Amino acid sequence: MRKVLVGLGLLLLAFWGSNRLLRAGGPQAQEAPAIRLAPTGEAPAFARVLEPRAFRFPQDHGPHPDFQTEWWYYIGNLQDAAGERFGFQLTFFRRALRPGSLNRPSGLAASQIYFAHFALTDVARQEHSSFERFSRGAGGLAGARGDPFSVWLEDWSVEALDALGERVRLRAQEGDFSLDLVLQAGKPLVAHGEAGLSRKSEEPGNASYYLSFTRMDAAGSLLVEGEKVEVTGQAWFDHEWSTSALGEQAVGWDWFGLQLDDGREIMLARIRRADGSLEPVSGGTLVEQDGSLIALSLDDVMFTPLGTWTSLRSGATYPLRWRVEIPAYGVDLTVEPLLEDQEMEVSVVYWEGAVEVKGESAGLPVGGQGYIELTGYAESIQGAF
Amino acid sequence: MMSSLYRAAKGALASRLPGRGLILAGLRDLRRRPWQSGLMVLGVALGVAVVIAIDLANGAARRGFELSTEAVVGRASHQIQGGPSGVPQEFYRRLRVDLGVRTSAPIVEGIVYARDFGDQPLRVLGVDPFAERPFRDYLAGMPGVSPGFEAFYLQSNAVLIGSPLASRWGLQPGGSFRVQANGRLVDLQVLGVVEPAGERDALALEDLLIMDVAGAQELLGMQGRLSRIDLILQPQEASALTAALPPGLRLKAASEQAQTATQLTEAFLLNLAALSLLALVVGMFLIYNTMTFSVVQRRQVFGTLRVLGATADQVFWVVLLEAAGASALGALLGVGLGWLLGQGAVGLVTQTINDLYFVLSVRQVTVTASTLVKAMVLGVGAGVLAAAVPALEAARVPPVTLFQRSSLEARARAAVWRLALAGVTLGGLGAAALAAFQSSLAAAFAGLFAILVGFALLVPALIVLLMRALGEPLGRALGFEGRMAARTIVGALSRTGVAVAALMVALAVTVGVSVMIESFRGTVVNWLELTLPADLYVTAPTAGGTRPSLSLPYALKGQLEAVPGVASVESFRSVQVEGPMGPVQLSVADARRRRDARLYRFAQGSPEAVWAQVQQGAVIVSEPFAYRHGIPPSGGEVTLYTDRGEHTFPVVAVYYDYSSDRGAVLMSENVYHQYWDDRSITSLAVYVSPGESIDFVADKLRRSLAGTGLTVLANRALREQALRIFDRTFAITAALRLLAVLVAFIGVLSALMALQLERSRELATLQALGLTPAGLWRLTLVETGLMGAAAGLFSWPAGLIMAAVLVYVINLRSFGWTLNLQLQPWILMQALAVGVAAALAAALYPTARLARMPISRALREE
Repeated sequence: MRKVLVGLGLLLLAFWGSNRLLRAGGPQAQEAPAIRLAPTGEAPAFARVLEPRAFRFPQDHGPHPDFQTEWWYYIGNLQDAAGERFGFQLTFFRRALRPGSLNRPSGLAASQIYFAHFALTDVARQEHSSFERFSRGAGGLAGARGDPFSVWLEDWSVEALDALGERVRLRAQEGDFSLDLVLQAGKPLVAHGEAGLSRKSEEPGNASYYLSFTRMDAAGSLLVEGEKVEVTGQAWFDHEWSTSALGEQAVGWDWFGLQLDDGREIMLARIRRADGSLEPVSGGTLVEQDGSLIALSLDDVMFTPLGTWTSLRSGATYPLRWRVEIPAYGVDLTVEPLLEDQEMEVSVVYWEGAVEVKGESAGLPVGGQGYIELTGYAESIQGAF
Repeated sequence: MMSSLYRAAKGALASRLPGRGLILAGLRDLRRRPWQSGLMVLGVALGVAVVIAIDLANGAARRGFELSTEAVVGRASHQIQGGPSGVPQEFYRRLRVDLGVRTSAPIVEGIVYARDFGDQPLRVLGVDPFAERPFRDYLAGMPGVSPGFEAFYLQSNAVLIGSPLASRWGLQPGGSFRVQANGRLVDLQVLGVVEPAGERDALALEDLLIMDVAGAQELLGMQGRLSRIDLILQPQEASALTAALPPGLRLKAASEQAQTATQLTEAFLLNLAALSLLALVVGMFLIYNTMTFSVVQRRQVFGTLRVLGATADQVFWVVLLEAAGASALGALLGVGLGWLLGQGAVGLVTQTINDLYFVLSVRQVTVTASTLVKAMVLGVGAGVLAAAVPALEAARVPPVTLFQRSSLEARARAAVWRLALAGVTLGGLGAAALAAFQSSLAAAFAGLFAILVGFALLVPALIVLLMRALGEPLGRALGFEGRMAARTIVGALSRTGVAVAALMVALAVTVGVSVMIESFRGTVVNWLELTLPADLYVTAPTAGGTRPSLSLPYALKGQLEAVPGVASVESFRSVQVEGPMGPVQLSVADARRRRDARLYRFAQGSPEAVWAQVQQGAVIVSEPFAYRHGIPPSGGEVTLYTDRGEHTFPVVAVYYDYSSDRGAVLMSENVYHQYWDDRSITSLAVYVSPGESIDFVADKLRRSLAGTGLTVLANRALREQALRIFDRTFAITAALRLLAVLVAFIGVLSALMALQLERSRELATLQALGLTPAGLWRLTLVETGLMGAAAGLFSWPAGLIMAAVLVYVINLRSFGWTLNLQLQPWILMQALAVGVAAALAAALYPTARLARMPISRALREE
């Protein structure tokens, strides 16, 4: 559920941000022209997430064009033979301009816009590099498909290597950086919330369908500043679609995707409101070793920020160090970033990076790794609207 | 003359320049004679104004073109282009996805015509907002994705327009307007109005419809194709990409693109600039005239100055400075006037460019510092040059207080033959320049100028001869006044000669330009008869000229062939393709019917044999094309980049064609389809079955074409339309011709007025001796009428020489086509009439003034 908000908010921010960025006129920015637009007609009628649905795979890994927004999120911790650590993120976003498919003569006519983020963290070098792309979902430039599952934006792509889409190949490259990984789901698909329906608020329809592979074995190669490294590690996949907007008070969120050495995974999200309180819908999912799921509400979890880091680029101060306690399940963890500066330099600035986890799980000492995502620190979402 | 000029200059350098007092005296003098000073200023002003107006209009056209090129090219360093059907859209995918070339943007371009707004041509620029960011600043405000902008992608008729266009048409966001897009009428909807950030953006957006690339494809019927792909590449990336291009696609540097298009209009703009200089030359006569007169009037003053100790050099410089001052004032006025004229001229210039070359929309002329400098240099330079001779004349005034003008006139008459010799020499040099520099357009204009000025130098001698010849018959016909008039003209030769020469030059320009235009027109009329043999033509009702713009579906041909009464339908396609020699206009004709044999200038074999070869893959080229590219009358060839790669076509004939000064290559449709994928057509020619009524079939065709916005024209109507465009393209030339006459008219007016005013005492003496007011009128009108007639007569040979140079040299060198020189007597008669009318009009005020004035006062005056 929380990732609904994360993704959705990101999307909205990105749209708004790309708008602003484009207006800035690019590299040789001069006073760029403004455009007066015609008043908009009524909003298009997208499908809403009202009740749990029966998922079919691989089709449901693919796009759901009747819903307004959708994303495919791959993150993970990797290491090479020498034990050097790396983090990666490859995310595809889909935004529908109107529901359904188009029936127009031009093959470039688009009702879907895609954009994507690609980032690599090189822990040894203390470098984080991030990239962003946009494209219309037409003419073979960008798109997504369920059977066989694939999603791509130009030459950044995810392709299923098996019939069910549990084994995928990720490819992305930009300049001196690239990624070519094969991911194999190591645990069953997780359907968050109520059988995959992840509520955001009490209002019906304010929800998303939210699916994850919380642990995927990853192997392949990276190109980091022109240097090729063979890597293995653990990845995480989120797929979510919806037609909703953030609550009016929301200013940002903190999301955690943690993979513990004892075989558990924990997904947590806290949505921050302007008054400093958290959205009551905040919470998460605890995935047991056998794949069984435990839904976590806000009352189940205690978050304690332990330290912050301030970006010199954006001026934003992020709470990068956390203590996370889930007493009912014997969980008490500290979360440390592998590198402080994993700020995404994209249209909307946010922090998304690899973390290390230490503490207790089920009362026993445990280590682990994961990714956290911190948004709304560089600029409030509310200011955007 | 040169040596005294040299001496004068040397003297001036030896710091013997006139003191402040002398200069002030000179300037006071200017003020004391406001009429003459005013005319002098006006002469410079008009001459400068014409030059500046054309300069501004040309500059605006060039700038407009640069901007519109910049607007569509943006910061692209390279472009990928294909044949007439463009670049396959799939190649763009391959480029971005497989080849990873990300600084690339797909562009779909075309022209549509605004039906609601006088068929104004508008450029459609279809873009992908996500690929645009590195390329075009004025699209930087496109929100990519934001509430309200979805329609840009979703609605195939959504457009963004610039605010100047919006306010001109009273369009608001949400409004709509109708355009003719190829074979369809489409209502476009204004999704947004772009507020340009600066003047540059405003010009760029002047005639632009910005659309989504998909919408543009649909509007222009270009599904699956792009007009081009814009790229920003490093040189090594460019060469790598060139290797990856499939046949039919080419990588071009963007600068190359802009260059070729600029070259298209260069000859046209140079012609205008040269014609505008003629107006300044006429203006120079005016200054010379006025200065001479003012010097003559002030001989006493100069004599006195000399007695008071002023040196000859100082007097020379006073006169020159006077002229410079008046010219500077005139030049300034000329800039203002030129700016005003420029507003009109820019419309005419861009209209012509629109008709002949490409869509260009310029509504603003900008006066820059360089314009001002140009005006001052030309104005003051021309003024000083023209005043040099009178200034020398003034410097020669001996230091006595009393003295006779007759001594000046005596010298002037003595100089007549020397001048005539100089004129013949100059004319000869001009002719030699024409002959010597075969291909230089500038040399041709210089030669033409030399011939004209040489002819002007001959005028005094011609006057003397003419008046001697006419003296007797005039005396017999008109009695005393007739004899008197002829003698007076010769007697005041220093002024009458100049006035007649100025008028002659202006009239010669009219004759020359008119004969050229009429010859051109006549040639085109003949050609149209031969080249438009079908009964009916189907085309879009655009105001445009010969630019290819329409792309009608090929299926239209079959649709029209099915209409009862139609014997056959021939499709015609006009497209631009590329070859190693640059852009080439390709005319693609349905080759079933042979072309009229009279259309060939050179042909290899009989017309039948030529046509048989054309059907099998040979081409024929138009005369301007052959001229431009040096295609020999036989054995030539043309290499073109086809969709199948480079191919060389043999040239089997050169044909007359006046539709494009760039020249064209004509190819049979079956051959075109073999080498290019483009299947669109530009227009259709319909032959009606024998015995059917053309009007009846035209009606049926119109019904069949309902809703397409296409029109059916009878061949006569199409010819008329072509001639209307022809006339429009010469509107600016005709306007220049008129301005030259206006300058001359004022020159004659001022010269004759001065002459008559100066003669007040003489005429008063005659009146005192018994000349009646009627006699006075008769005398002056005969006198001035004679001068006008002389100018008119002398303008004939000069004008005809000019026409011949324009037709046989300038037009050939500019555009490469053969025209038949056709002389229409009305042009000559008109020149004579204008000359006489101008001269008579000039006599009215001084004569009326004199006739009203008491004789005693007139005798006292001067």
